[in-house]
Amino acid sequence: MNIYGKLIAGIVATQMVAISFAAEDSETVEALRRQIQELDQKVRILERKQELDKDAASDKAKVTPTVSLGAGGFSVRSADSNFVFKVRGYVQADSRLYADDYSGGTANDTFLIRRARPIFEGTVYNNYDFRVMLDFASGINSSAANNVFLQDAYVNARFAPEFQVQVGKFKEPVGLERLQSGANILFVERGYPTQLVPNRDVGVQLQGDLFGGLLRYEAGVFNGVADGGSGDVDASDDEKDIAGRLFATPFKDGATEIVRGLGFGVAGTTGNQDGSGLVSKFKTPGQQQFFSYRSGAGTAAAPNVVADGDHWRVAPQLTYFYRSFGLFGEYVISDQRVRRDAGTSSFSRVQNSAWQVSASYLLTGEENSWKGFVPRHNFDPANGGWGAWEVALRLGQLEVDDAAFPLLASPTASASGATSWGVGLNWHLNKNLKLNFNYEQTDFDGGTSDFLARGEKVFLTRAQFAF
Amino acid sequence: MKIRQHITMAGALFALAVAAGTGTAPGKDINILNVSYDPTRELYAEFNTAFIKHWKEKSGDTLTIKQSHGGSGKQARAVIDGLEADVVTLALAYDIDAISEKGRLLPGDWQKRLPHNSAPYASTIVFLVRKGNPKGIKDWDDLVKPGISIVTPNPKTSGGARWNYLAAWAYALQKHGNEEAKAREFLGKLFKNVPVLDTGARGATTTFVQREIGDVLISWENEAFLAIKEFGQAKFEVITPSLSILAEPPVAVVDKVAKRRGTEEVAKAYLDYLYTEEGQDIAGRNFYRPRSEKAAAKYAGQFTNVKLVTIDEVFGGWKKAQKTHFDDGGTFDQIFKP
Repeated sequence: MNIYGKLIAGIVATQMVAISFAAEDSETVEALRRQIQELDQKVRILERKQELDKDAASDKAKVTPTVSLGAGGFSVRSADSNFVFKVRGYVQADSRLYADDYSGGTANDTFLIRRARPIFEGTVYNNYDFRVMLDFASGINSSAANNVFLQDAYVNARFAPEFQVQVGKFKEPVGLERLQSGANILFVERGYPTQLVPNRDVGVQLQGDLFGGLLRYEAGVFNGVADGGSGDVDASDDEKDIAGRLFATPFKDGATEIVRGLGFGVAGTTGNQDGSGLVSKFKTPGQQQFFSYRSGAGTAAAPNVVADGDHWRVAPQLTYFYRSFGLFGEYVISDQRVRRDAGTSSFSRVQNSAWQVSASYLLTGEENSWKGFVPRHNFDPANGGWGAWEVALRLGQLEVDDAAFPLLASPTASASGATSWGVGLNWHLNKNLKLNFNYEQTDFDGGTSDFLARGEKVFLTRAQFAF
Repeated sequence: MKIRQHITMAGALFALAVAAGTGTAPGKDINILNVSYDPTRELYAEFNTAFIKHWKEKSGDTLTIKQSHGGSGKQARAVIDGLEADVVTLALAYDIDAISEKGRLLPGDWQKRLPHNSAPYASTIVFLVRKGNPKGIKDWDDLVKPGISIVTPNPKTSGGARWNYLAAWAYALQKHGNEEAKAREFLGKLFKNVPVLDTGARGATTTFVQREIGDVLISWENEAFLAIKEFGQAKFEVITPSLSILAEPPVAVVDKVAKRRGTEEVAKAYLDYLYTEEGQDIAGRNFYRPRSEKAAAKYAGQFTNVKLVTIDEVFGGWKKAQKTHFDDGGTFDQIFKP
């Protein structure tokens, strides 16, 4: 009984007592009866008004968008969740400190903004996701092309979980570590296999999750880019690349915990590529170049190498996560037909390959994951919180085809291979702030420059703010 | 890869996307949304079942019809704001005019597209009182007496409430020799006796019938008969006043939405079916006044003869009536002080 009901009951009781003293007075009884009826109506009206107010508030809630701001960024969501708009982003402030750089050929120690990326993403009409990601740190003024400034710009139509169509500019579905967000990568720089797979390209892709997400497929048609390259217009040729990837996590819903985090797959591309922008240069973990094709005027004295013909890649890959432990590995072969212009033209095939194995362990007990994790305790010393601490180890190698030397690349200025190992310590202060400390050491095969002979020893740090 | 292969692949991808993204090919599943006003729930529940069967036989398509009900003005606002209605079946033409003018979702002459100004059935305004009519309510005059508690919805959100208001106004004008001031005074007294305003006609019925508030419900005729059908003649009586208004709830295809969703054909057929003998019979069964002679004759016995005025002859049409009485600052705002 609510307050009005109690009020009525009280009044009735009081009046009944009064009635007992004047029961014989029928007029009074009638008056009291009317009074009770009036009070009853008033109570009912008040209750109904409350009911209507509640309905009005509920109706308002149904159409009022939800605005939220938190560790996941800023978002606005329509009441029915059919429309969502989010603003996210991340910034990475790095340092590169090179040891043994007393002689020439080694890059200078430097601080730099590696990435500064605002992200605008969301959903319209429930089934259409969009994303635009820019990068203000990638040379916005260095080129007329926008391929480094505009990183992602695409729409994904989710007709069904098993059948989605994505159109625009986005990462080609090939390299394992390349497909991981730049904000979640384990080391400051990605490993060697990423340099042999496409980065972002423009095209259309079918994708989906089959068997309840146990198998993911992606298949698309793209302009085609160089190994490690991005593009947003195909100015080089009329040809297109086909890229595809299958990745299985067959035990992810199973009862056996030790294999639940196992995933494996294979990806590849095939297509024809012609043009000077479609051959690659390779870099160390410290981002120093150790290999490039000859790039002269195309004369006998200054030969030039360009892509000219079919280019295929294959990339088997694996991930494994068990509690705080994480491991991933990938191997890439990139096989490309190239043309050497040196007064006359000659053709060659080069087959470059790369691999890496990376492992990590979360010392503070969080569950390791490919998509990142949230620290159990944020960094808050006053309350005993020290964030999440992670140690990492990586081995990797990139081998350039022997056929590249000496005609396609200088055997003195370029190395025919690089082998690196690195260790890392990552401190996740909270979901938004992360510090990376890496040491990477690289030895080269071939090459005669001081830098190539000496190898690279580099200490890399990163302060990352992501939201 | 040659250019022909690119075109073939792109074509295949496009065809896959189109096939997955559309659902209106013959023999396919189709769904439409009918945004309607409050008291039509029972009418369209029955009508939809009949039309779905008819459409299946005619086209082979499996049709699902979703319904949305609420105060007519509120429903119109929702459509203007983006509720994807393939058809609207509202309480009064002004609300569909608003969808046309403010939402630009259908042409201005929408009312000419179907017979009877696109109103496939009609109704009027009556009183529902408690059994025995304890307050002796016989006509509009009785509603303005002190101590009478009236239930009627809010004219700002409910089409039915606007019909109620205008019927009372028409009566007052007739009684007082077309004196606007007297009519205003009459309505002022009437709304002084209204203790609670629901947003729609169905809510007002709930207030009167289930919450047992008030002495009289000013109601759609069909809604009053439905209450008696549901709760029995032992509890309520319908009182027909000496004068009321011809209420013509109109229907229309929301062209832009239907075109975008590929449902134009079925949406048009849906409304056309309201005019068929089966559609008219269903309207009569649900206490609406049918337009067809056959159905009108069949159900004539359930309606009392009453002098009915029209919105055009007394108020100069809905646009004028809306502006004078229900827009912000209009007569209703002046006389009703909650």
